[in-house]
Amino acid sequence: MKRIALDEPAVVIIGSGAGGGTLAHELTRQGIECVVLEAGPYLKNEDYENDEWKAFNQMAWLDPRTTSGSWRIARDFPSLPAWLVKAVGGTTTHWSGATPRFKEHEFKALSTYGHVEGANLLDWPLTLAEMEPFYERAEMAMGSTHRQGRPALPANNNYKVFANGAERIGYKRYATGPYATNAAPYDGRPASIQDGFNFQGDKSGAKWSIMVREIPRALETGLLDLRPDSHVVRITHDASGKADAVIYADKDGNLHRQSARIVCVAGNSIETPRLLLLSDSARFPNGLANGSDQVGRNYMRHLTGSVYARFDKPVRMYRGETMAGLIADESRHDPSRGFVGGFYMETISLGPAFLAAFVEPGAWGPDFARIMSSYANTAGMWIVGEDMPQADNRITLSTTVRDHLDLPVANVHFDDHDNDVAMREYGYGKAAELYDAVGAIGHHRTPPYPSTHNLGTCRMSDRPEDGVCDRNGRAHEVANLFISDGSQMTTGAAANPTLTIVALAMRQADHLAGELKRGNL
Amino acid sequence: MELTRSAPSGSASSVAVETVAERGYRGIPIGLERGSGSRKLLARMIRVMFPHDGLSDAPYIRAAEAVLALACEKPGRQVAFAAAIQDLMNEGFEAMDDDAALAHLRKMSAADFFTQVQGKALLAFYDDPEVWEHLGYEGPSFDKGGYVNRGFDDLDWLPDPRIDEYDGGEQ
Repeated sequence: MKRIALDEPAVVIIGSGAGGGTLAHELTRQGIECVVLEAGPYLKNEDYENDEWKAFNQMAWLDPRTTSGSWRIARDFPSLPAWLVKAVGGTTTHWSGATPRFKEHEFKALSTYGHVEGANLLDWPLTLAEMEPFYERAEMAMGSTHRQGRPALPANNNYKVFANGAERIGYKRYATGPYATNAAPYDGRPASIQDGFNFQGDKSGAKWSIMVREIPRALETGLLDLRPDSHVVRITHDASGKADAVIYADKDGNLHRQSARIVCVAGNSIETPRLLLLSDSARFPNGLANGSDQVGRNYMRHLTGSVYARFDKPVRMYRGETMAGLIADESRHDPSRGFVGGFYMETISLGPAFLAAFVEPGAWGPDFARIMSSYANTAGMWIVGEDMPQADNRITLSTTVRDHLDLPVANVHFDDHDNDVAMREYGYGKAAELYDAVGAIGHHRTPPYPSTHNLGTCRMSDRPEDGVCDRNGRAHEVANLFISDGSQMTTGAAANPTLTIVALAMRQADHLAGELKRGNL
Repeated sequence: MELTRSAPSGSASSVAVETVAERGYRGIPIGLERGSGSRKLLARMIRVMFPHDGLSDAPYIRAAEAVLALACEKPGRQVAFAAAIQDLMNEGFEAMDDDAALAHLRKMSAADFFTQVQGKALLAFYDDPEVWEHLGYEGPSFDKGGYVNRGFDDLDWLPDPRIDEYDGGEQ
């Protein structure tokens, strides 16, 4: 593997997930050397476990965090606000695979929805038309089913219930994708064996992840210096205010300084703002690139909610691809439903270990046991929709808890907006209606899980005072600092975000490569 | 839930939990040791919390052992658990019928002891392969070739739905 000297000013990418991993692949393919610093270990397909808690303990980001706000997570899972992965490949390791694109109006949330009391809406400085070529490339890279002629995945048991219910209540826009797991062999990887362990890292390699595709290909170029177990603690800058190095701790806690000419931050929407806040200095007293006081604000986590329905016949939802079922009928903007924005319905399945922990946190007794007893006859869906950005939904540095390096951990503050609550209630109702239409004998409304879709916190904006970075992800205040993950999203849209994170990283890579060739960076 | 109070340090799988339990609570002469009846009382408490007809005592005992291992991690917790278990013994909890036992647990459900037992027992009990089998869950599947040839689509009480996207135009 390529070794880049610590004193060589390098292109340094922090994080190896959907954003950072894509960027590393695209840049190395264009002949640009990169250092990738990944906080977690290098786990491969053969390391993954077909066991929910074993896999969780193997790959989840378990460094402490704190929570505040009125969201239920602060009560039920106060130290686990988000369910993310700390490993090479980042959260693409445990993502399920749904790849809908954002819609045109979702890039223009403020113009489309108008002023919403308490929400900090803004239009993106990008349009769908500008993103379309990158969506196309991202779908090709990720092997999205139903796109570019790739076949659909077959219907699994959970989908059969979901799709029949959808048809019976008048929905039309249901399908087994788009979904980034191979229905047929593609791109050197096999077809799905329907093993049902997407959330645990897919052992077979049928599922796209940064670990199976972008990292090995970037390494093959001979231009990637991948450093796992390297936890970045500070970005430093020179007297002119340009980023000049990245300080990181290895797994033994020893500090290293990598000289940098460009720094791209892709640590997910909690660690990215935390790192900027930790990188304060006399010039940037509120944190690097935070003159606007926007770093950490507008934290979004998608609406989410699940409905688990019981039947008097077997379903066996755990067999097969976890989320290969989407309904898009409710993803439109239609304020007559009582809220702005839209949502998707997607199949979901948990094993008994996770279902028990998450179906109704804190529950016990005969009613709870009845939910669990019905396991084999249960179908499940996830509701995922746009939540409102709010200035006070925010990542800050904890004043009470420090991590193993003695650095303040992230506090995640979140209050549901009235629009979020209205959309969730409506979604629960439609889900129940759908399952009732195929004979459900009962259902349970499950509250949001620890967040998997973490967005915003360093958002893109045309005007520096409204956000942290520009339309290319470049920090308004630091010319060679880029935000390269879902943190840069101006608003969250309804769609699962990974496809858009990958497309944005591809676009940013083209921009960076061009600027480097032109000598502008 | 226990998972929320501290980051899990190891696997919650019942096998690992059992090993820790064996090491953890043996020989501590304050009411939690083997022969004290604490394991049996906790197993009864967990069955009332998570009642599943037709399931043997074994997974409830294993969950009780996981709770005892948790109790013995810290001296303060150990003393508190021993005292709470002694109270339940004094109140005749094990002799209560299901309804009375459930009512008794409801009364104490705000207590720290209760929430710790509930959280730990839930994680251990529903992570137990014997419980999985009882619920109809088949566990790891990759080594068996997944379900692609083993019934991922064997649901036969509904018609086969369309899998391609709707071709009737935009909304």
